[in-house]
Amino acid sequence: MRRVLLPATLVTLLLVAIQLSIFSGLRFAGVVVMIVWLWPLAMGLAGLTALSLWCALVAGVFFDTHATTPFGLTALVAVLLAYGASRLGREGVGDLDSAAWWVTPLLAATAGFFAPLLFVGASFLTFNFSLWRDSLLAAMVVNALAFFVLARPMAHLARWVGTLGGSRR
Amino acid sequence: MAVLATILILYLTTGVASGLRGGANIVVTPFSWAVNTIARPIGHLLAGTINYSDVVAQNEKLRYQLGRAEERANEAWAFSRQLEQLTNQLDLPFVGALPTVMAQVTTVSPTNFAATVGISKGRDSGVLVGMPVVANGGLVGRVIATTASGSTIQLITDTNSSVGVTFKAGKTNLVVSGRGPNNGLGATSVPLGTAIAPGTKLSTDGLNGGLYPAGLPVASVKTVTLTPGAASYNLTLKPAADLRHLSYLDVVLWEPAA
Repeated sequence: MRRVLLPATLVTLLLVAIQLSIFSGLRFAGVVVMIVWLWPLAMGLAGLTALSLWCALVAGVFFDTHATTPFGLTALVAVLLAYGASRLGREGVGDLDSAAWWVTPLLAATAGFFAPLLFVGASFLTFNFSLWRDSLLAAMVVNALAFFVLARPMAHLARWVGTLGGSRR
Repeated sequence: MAVLATILILYLTTGVASGLRGGANIVVTPFSWAVNTIARPIGHLLAGTINYSDVVAQNEKLRYQLGRAEERANEAWAFSRQLEQLTNQLDLPFVGALPTVMAQVTTVSPTNFAATVGISKGRDSGVLVGMPVVANGGLVGRVIATTASGSTIQLITDTNSSVGVTFKAGKTNLVVSGRGPNNGLGATSVPLGTAIAPGTKLSTDGLNGGLYPAGLPVASVKTVTLTPGAASYNLTLKPAADLRHLSYLDVVLWEPAA
């Protein structure tokens, strides 16, 4: 775990930078694809429970420093996604080798669909009741599609980062 | 669990969070710089190659529009002076007489749930929180955060934004609210007797204690709808400024009354 912590953190920071520099400007139907949520999800599906939670926290917090939405919300959603995915990952669901090719993308798409809804729901905790007014459905659909496409490459990256520590799960 | 999460988020959204944001920004900046250095030239090369003919056509169109704008600016000068005199008599601030600071848009909101942009001018240039920002023919938003060399602008389409507006010689006042980055603007609870129609132009009302000076173009009415049984109109509005293509903008050095 300790050996892999540094490379995982560096990869996470790099992905946050890619999110901020590329994906946040590259809008599809006006929607930003949130790879800062997909990354911890992929880590979780790879069975790297503790690491996925750490990466979710790092990705979420560093992304939140650049957004004007309530601080901590992106991190909270990322942590919840990572936790849910790691529960599945520990059971081998979504494993790149054993499961059918579409399982990982389908799980990611489902998470991508509900993540914006979770974000808006979590915003009520900060007494911010205005976020639901925007194109929530568009954000859900676009993120679901993008997560479906990007899930396998991201899962391969997660698995590679996991192997840097010398063990999995 | 939910209570603890609430307390934690409330705690982080206060003073501690701003320090945390600043520190985290410093950590991410080198990574962003590296990604930008590699990705931007490649992106520009690809975009330039694919869209070269469009860029040339757009350039010609912009030259034409610039010429027309200069022509109109000259015509408007006399009217502007007259309006300034009138608003001075009414003791209302007028934006034509206010100094501005030009700034470049450096970042756009990285999230789906906030309509904000970052600009290249901050406190060192006299930009302060609350100052209005204009560009592309109308009101863009207001400054919500500043650093020494940069600021964050909340666009009028942000769901937390509301602007007091008026039309028809200031006889009717409305509140225009943002509906998110992709949904433009709207106004609700417009009294039925209000003589408003598609195409009506709305500008800031400059009421005492308001967030904006008077006379800034905000939006024009796109549709007027009446829900059966309702006692008021709902308006869909088109922002006067083109908020999708913001490159440069002007911060009006005007502070709302305390």
